[in-house]
Amino acid sequence: MIKLQNIQKVYRTDTIETLALNAINLDIAKGEFLSIMGPSGCGKSTLLNIMGLLDMPSKGSINIADQTTHSLNDKQLAKFRNQKLGFIFQSYHLIGDLQVLDNVELPLLYRDTTAKERRRLATEALEKVGLSNRLKHFPKQLSGGQRQRVAIARAIVGNPEIILADEPTGNLDSAMGNEIMDILLQLNRNEGTTIVMVTHDESMAQKTHRLVRLFDGSQVQ
Amino acid sequence: MIKHLFKLIWNKKKQNFLLITEIFVSFMVIFAVFTLVVNYYQNFKQPMGFEYDRVWVINYQSDVKIKDKDSLDIYYKTMLGNIKAMPPVQGVSFASSNVPFSTNTHMNNADYKKVHVNRVNYYTVGDTYNKVLGMKLTEGRWFGKQDDAATVKPTIINQSLRQQLFGSGKAIGEKIGGEGSKRSVIGVVQDVKAKGDYQEAGLAMYERIDTSSNDGRGRILVKINDKADAAFESRLYKLMASNSNNSGIEIEHLTDKRKTMNNTTLIPMMILLIVACFLIINVALGLFGVLWYNINKRKGEIGLRRAIGASGNSVSGQLVTESMILATLALIIGTFFAIQFPLLNVFGLAASVYLVAIALSVIFIYLLVLVCSLYPGKQAAAILPAVALHEE
Repeated sequence: MIKLQNIQKVYRTDTIETLALNAINLDIAKGEFLSIMGPSGCGKSTLLNIMGLLDMPSKGSINIADQTTHSLNDKQLAKFRNQKLGFIFQSYHLIGDLQVLDNVELPLLYRDTTAKERRRLATEALEKVGLSNRLKHFPKQLSGGQRQRVAIARAIVGNPEIILADEPTGNLDSAMGNEIMDILLQLNRNEGTTIVMVTHDESMAQKTHRLVRLFDGSQVQ
Repeated sequence: MIKHLFKLIWNKKKQNFLLITEIFVSFMVIFAVFTLVVNYYQNFKQPMGFEYDRVWVINYQSDVKIKDKDSLDIYYKTMLGNIKAMPPVQGVSFASSNVPFSTNTHMNNADYKKVHVNRVNYYTVGDTYNKVLGMKLTEGRWFGKQDDAATVKPTIINQSLRQQLFGSGKAIGEKIGGEGSKRSVIGVVQDVKAKGDYQEAGLAMYERIDTSSNDGRGRILVKINDKADAAFESRLYKLMASNSNNSGIEIEHLTDKRKTMNNTTLIPMMILLIVACFLIINVALGLFGVLWYNINKRKGEIGLRRAIGASGNSVSGQLVTESMILATLALIIGTFFAIQFPLLNVFGLAASVYLVAIALSVIFIYLLVLVCSLYPGKQAAAILPAVALHEE
């Protein structure tokens, strides 16, 4: 489902060159739940951004869902992200000025769907994460766990094949973190969604199918 | 997407209120400027209605002590005859002090049946006034000797007054004015822009100078040929001084008076334009700053939108569209107030002036907002999603 070959990422400034990722080779199967661990600054989020086509590698190739991505232009990349990928972030990234339902509808705005269809799909996604009674709430009226569930609903509303989660439980207490993890495991198990999750939490990582460890930009496990 | 953006704007109404207010105030100022400009331009396009080239105005003190009416008539006829006898003079006429391009104004009313018209410019003129100024009669005739024995005072009106009083009906021979001051319309002349190129002609009525009175003879208009020079002007001055036996004589050229009058009209508009320009620059910088600030404040949202499927162009398009929606809301409020001007006939300007000014102001504001939002929008499109998400 996701194939990374010899991925290297270098950040350059006028005076400094930083090697963020070096020679990463990763093959993630369809329906796999993979976690990425490592100390802060080891390149976990950079790797996830590259998998999510939010950032380009300095070297190497990426193949996602049988599509080589380096030749895609900005518009094609955007369409690809919209249709194939779902994102979950540690800090939720909900738009505070929009209600829960409108936040979840967001990815569908960039598709050719009617308002009625968007509403139906968003409501269904919120039902899946147990928030059907919070449709008209604004993010600030929700707890951290609820906000992350909204973010999950937004990630799954477009029925993507892959979900990329960047420390989804990082801002939550353990009970809420477990709730979120259970939702992700269910998604993986029931829908067959491929999930790649960056985490600092060993216990969460142990629940996934496979664990990849990074250290100083290199894959060590 | 538009509905989504409306929702976003509505949910941020407190933040957007100031921006909408700023655009609204700008619109009203621009509307005032465009109203002036359109009004002046529409007036400028109208024909002058007379010829001012080589027409001089003699300003003199009419304090002759002749009491016998016939003698007085002969005195003034002789004065005109002496001027006309000078070689460069082609025509000469007495006129009241409100000659073209003067700041003097005499006003009267005009009534016809149930129509009452206020603010009609009132001129007393000689029998050759129309020829000296090259005015064009569109109906009837000018004053002449046949009016000496008229039982009802003859009057000549301009085209605009004719339209207001009679519409498409007959004007010649109709009686206007109230009881005891009835006047018979004997002619209609083309509108004369007596207050310069940029002021409207307005309504006008002309009456014949009473040949046996000193009243209404404050000025003499002299049409000269192109051979008239400073020496002639000096001779004319001396002639007038010897005729009227006083030193309060002044000779002015209508071409100079026209320039002065046009400057008097244009200078306030220029000042307003300069003030408006500074205001527009301020508004543009304000808009630019607010949009720039919004983009920086919304980097996380921009990154998110990029992540979930928005291309750089669609992010840029969204920000520009948001600005245009805000402008539209401000313009709806602004247009509501602006449209009251033609509806309530404020300042007596034609409705078309206000409507054209509204249209121009709307276009101008849209262009201003578009220009101010394009660059911030472009900058937003260039933001890397990974960077934007990380910054949040």
